[in-house]
Amino acid sequence: MSILEVSGIRKVYSSRFGGNFVEALKNVSFQVERGEFVAIMGESGSGKTTLLNILAALDKPTAGKVLLDGMDISKIRDSALAQFRRDNLGFVFQDFNLLDTFTLEDNIYLPLVLSGTPYTEMQNRLRPIATKLGIPGLMKKYPYEVSGGQKQRAAVARAIITNPKLILADEPTGALDSRSSDELLKLFSEVNGQGQTVLMVTHSVRAASVAGRVMFIRDGEIFHQLYRGADTFDSFYQKIADTLTLIATGGERA
Amino acid sequence: MKNLNLYPRLALDGIRKNRRLYLPYILTCSGMAAMFYIINYFQYSSAVKNMNGGDTIQATIGMGIVVLALFSAIFLFYTNSFLIRRRKKEFGLYNILGMGKRNLSVVIACETAAVAAISLVSGLLAGILLSKLAEYGLAYILGAETNYSFEVSPESILSTLKVFLLIFLLIMLNSLRQVWFSTAASLIKSESVGEKPPKANWAFGLLGIALLAGAYYIAVTITDPIVAMVTFFGAVAMVIVGTYLMMISGSVMFCRILQKLKRYYYKPNHFVSVSSMVYRMKRNGAGLASICILATMALVMISSTASLYFGAEDSLMQRYPREYNMEFIMEDFGGIADENVEKIRDTVGVSLAQFGGTPENILEYRYATVAGFLDKSAGTVETNVGYFNPYDTAALDSGLFSFYFVPLSDYNRMYGTRETLNPGEAMMYILRGSYGGSEISFNRGETLKIKKTLQTFELPGDGIVSIVSSMVLVVPDVEAAVGALAGEADFNGDRMVNPTFIYNFDTGLSEDEQAKYSAAFWESFREKMAPGENGVKTREFEGRERDRRDFYSLYGGLFFLGIILSLVFIFAAVLIIYYKQISEGYEDRSRFEIMQKVGMTSKEIRKSINSQLLTVFFLPLIFAAMHLAFAFPIIRKILLLFSLSNYILFAAVTVICFVSFAALYTLVYKITSNAYYNIVSGAKEGSS
Repeated sequence: MSILEVSGIRKVYSSRFGGNFVEALKNVSFQVERGEFVAIMGESGSGKTTLLNILAALDKPTAGKVLLDGMDISKIRDSALAQFRRDNLGFVFQDFNLLDTFTLEDNIYLPLVLSGTPYTEMQNRLRPIATKLGIPGLMKKYPYEVSGGQKQRAAVARAIITNPKLILADEPTGALDSRSSDELLKLFSEVNGQGQTVLMVTHSVRAASVAGRVMFIRDGEIFHQLYRGADTFDSFYQKIADTLTLIATGGERA
Repeated sequence: MKNLNLYPRLALDGIRKNRRLYLPYILTCSGMAAMFYIINYFQYSSAVKNMNGGDTIQATIGMGIVVLALFSAIFLFYTNSFLIRRRKKEFGLYNILGMGKRNLSVVIACETAAVAAISLVSGLLAGILLSKLAEYGLAYILGAETNYSFEVSPESILSTLKVFLLIFLLIMLNSLRQVWFSTAASLIKSESVGEKPPKANWAFGLLGIALLAGAYYIAVTITDPIVAMVTFFGAVAMVIVGTYLMMISGSVMFCRILQKLKRYYYKPNHFVSVSSMVYRMKRNGAGLASICILATMALVMISSTASLYFGAEDSLMQRYPREYNMEFIMEDFGGIADENVEKIRDTVGVSLAQFGGTPENILEYRYATVAGFLDKSAGTVETNVGYFNPYDTAALDSGLFSFYFVPLSDYNRMYGTRETLNPGEAMMYILRGSYGGSEISFNRGETLKIKKTLQTFELPGDGIVSIVSSMVLVVPDVEAAVGALAGEADFNGDRMVNPTFIYNFDTGLSEDEQAKYSAAFWESFREKMAPGENGVKTREFEGRERDRRDFYSLYGGLFFLGIILSLVFIFAAVLIIYYKQISEGYEDRSRFEIMQKVGMTSKEIRKSINSQLLTVFFLPLIFAAMHLAFAFPIIRKILLLFSLSNYILFAAVTVICFVSFAALYTLVYKITSNAYYNIVSGAKEGSS
């Protein structure tokens, strides 16, 4: 059964006085199965950020439906949205979005504390995650004191500690050097390997190559998608790169 | 030509675009200038000079001018440094876009000039308009009359301009220095500098606590008014330093301890607020401490001067228990012989009768005074006091006394008693002090055996309000008791022992008549009792109604100064609060955005903001209350020097002042936290 069902999403932005309309998303429909690792690729302005905002319930679609685990997220009251996000979604952002007033440990605990989880349980949950992400020694450090890659790993820990139904990652490697990027991507595929559903928006071919499926979005529409199937990282990488070239040179659907 | 207009335009634009920051600054500058003008106006105004007691007022207020000028300079400097910090990014951008530091300096100069011009013109206008109002207020406080003519004082305008232009010049130089010595990149980044995780500085935190505890201990344990006066400033300095250390390090320390209490810390409503508070305290501890100190100073000043003023009647009555007081210092002990005393009584009666009064409720007795150090364990008195250094608190503690030798016959007459004493015996009465010995011996006089300790004895008014301990020794023969001391000279070369007769009485005249006739009465009396006749060496006269004006003009002047200075301090505190809220708003904005993304509901955010603001905001108020409570005993002692002993009045006035200040503070909190919410929630600049 699909964990995420997106059907007929359309998003129109109008300028302040209603004069100009911009159609950021035209008619987007897709499904994500439980345990899948999906990457969404597209150039700047293709509508991928709008799509992610709608999936994260940060923005509402003009038309269409988003079902998360069978629940229509556009029907959730505004006041309940933040809690819905906290309980069902995990976020990883390009710029980490860690709070500088907290240690890494406290940053990771934040969503749990907000849900009123007892301290001992939080500890029990953190221990295996911190070990897995290779940051147990950094727990008492502040974001200010650690490297970008370490920050992003803490952010991943914060995203998965609530056992969310879906992790949404927005350009997670965008602010990292290539070594940290590779480590993070490896982490994502490991997390995914343990059954966590991940949806990642990126324009890095390298990042997309670790996914199980890549969707290409252009001018507000799903333009194409690729399944890894039996491909190795390298051959999948090549396919993605080819597809991107095709899109960039204005080719039609393969 | 176009280029020349660019800089003023950039400067004005900068002010306009940052009006949320500049408007309060300009208001403060003009407020300070207005106050300064008013206080100067009093100094130069002939209307004030012509008021009863106007000279005293002008002298008292003159002290205020210096304080106000210094405070304005420090405070405007502080405020401006805050503005500059926020503007640096803009200057950095101009710098990158190709404006040299020279050009930037021109912009800054234009900006300072604009601010100075606006605030001085509006401040002086406000000052001129309000000065008459303030004059009525002053006249009302003094119970004096004033005219209705409007007066502008060019001297005051000039001195206000001089002082504030100098301040603005210094401010400008400081801004220039900051821009001149930094690179474009550091200018742009300057706002986000200092995001290091705060470390609790235990040493400083503990030192702060120790200083506060020490100052409190001093304030509570001091018994002697003069010692209180001298130590007060030391205690104040300790409190100021202690408060700063406490707020900066102590509070971080406290939050760190809270964070260690996992059970407390990891609760939704504590988690965010405690951790942000650590940061807030580190950045704004100094601001909080300043608010606290300013509030405390304002409260101390207003409550003590108000108490003095409202207690002036009490003090007056205490100082002048009777309407007319006369004191005769005689040539020798023969001067206080019965026939001379009888003559004085008669003459007073005759003189007073001319004005329709008769002496009644009379207090009269003879005494001889000498000052000396009493060694309480040995029971000996050293009368060779020498120059008394009021800062020598050890000497005070060692037992400086004014000794009054009073003849037994006068005592028995005053109190209708039939006490008897053998030669060498005495009855003792002590005001402000104690002595447990059974004998007392003067260095070159007689040794007296204390037969009895008296419960009451009425000293003359100046003895009652004196800060020095007084010891009355009722003896059978004053001359014998004083003995050889009578021939000695004190360190000034004056006679050491003065045989004195006091004659204090009510007149049966109304207050107006007393005031009206006191000069004429004294005139007619003094002719009949000229020095050199009847054994009189010098004589002094005091009239309660005659001196009332001086009393009120001193206390009224202090009260007025108290009002003005506490207004200025409160003004400053409010502005610091405002800037604190604004700057915290900008800092917190991004933080709350992140929290929202991670899944904090806006309700939770609002709740956590509220709990933080409340805690941090009311911390200075709580500390001010604490400081005030501990300052109470020491100030009470100091007020004794101003002959205010009605401490219930002082307590009531202090409580009223504090409650009204707390109300004002809460109001300011409401207003400024709105500004904060607008910033945090990303409302458009200047739309609030």
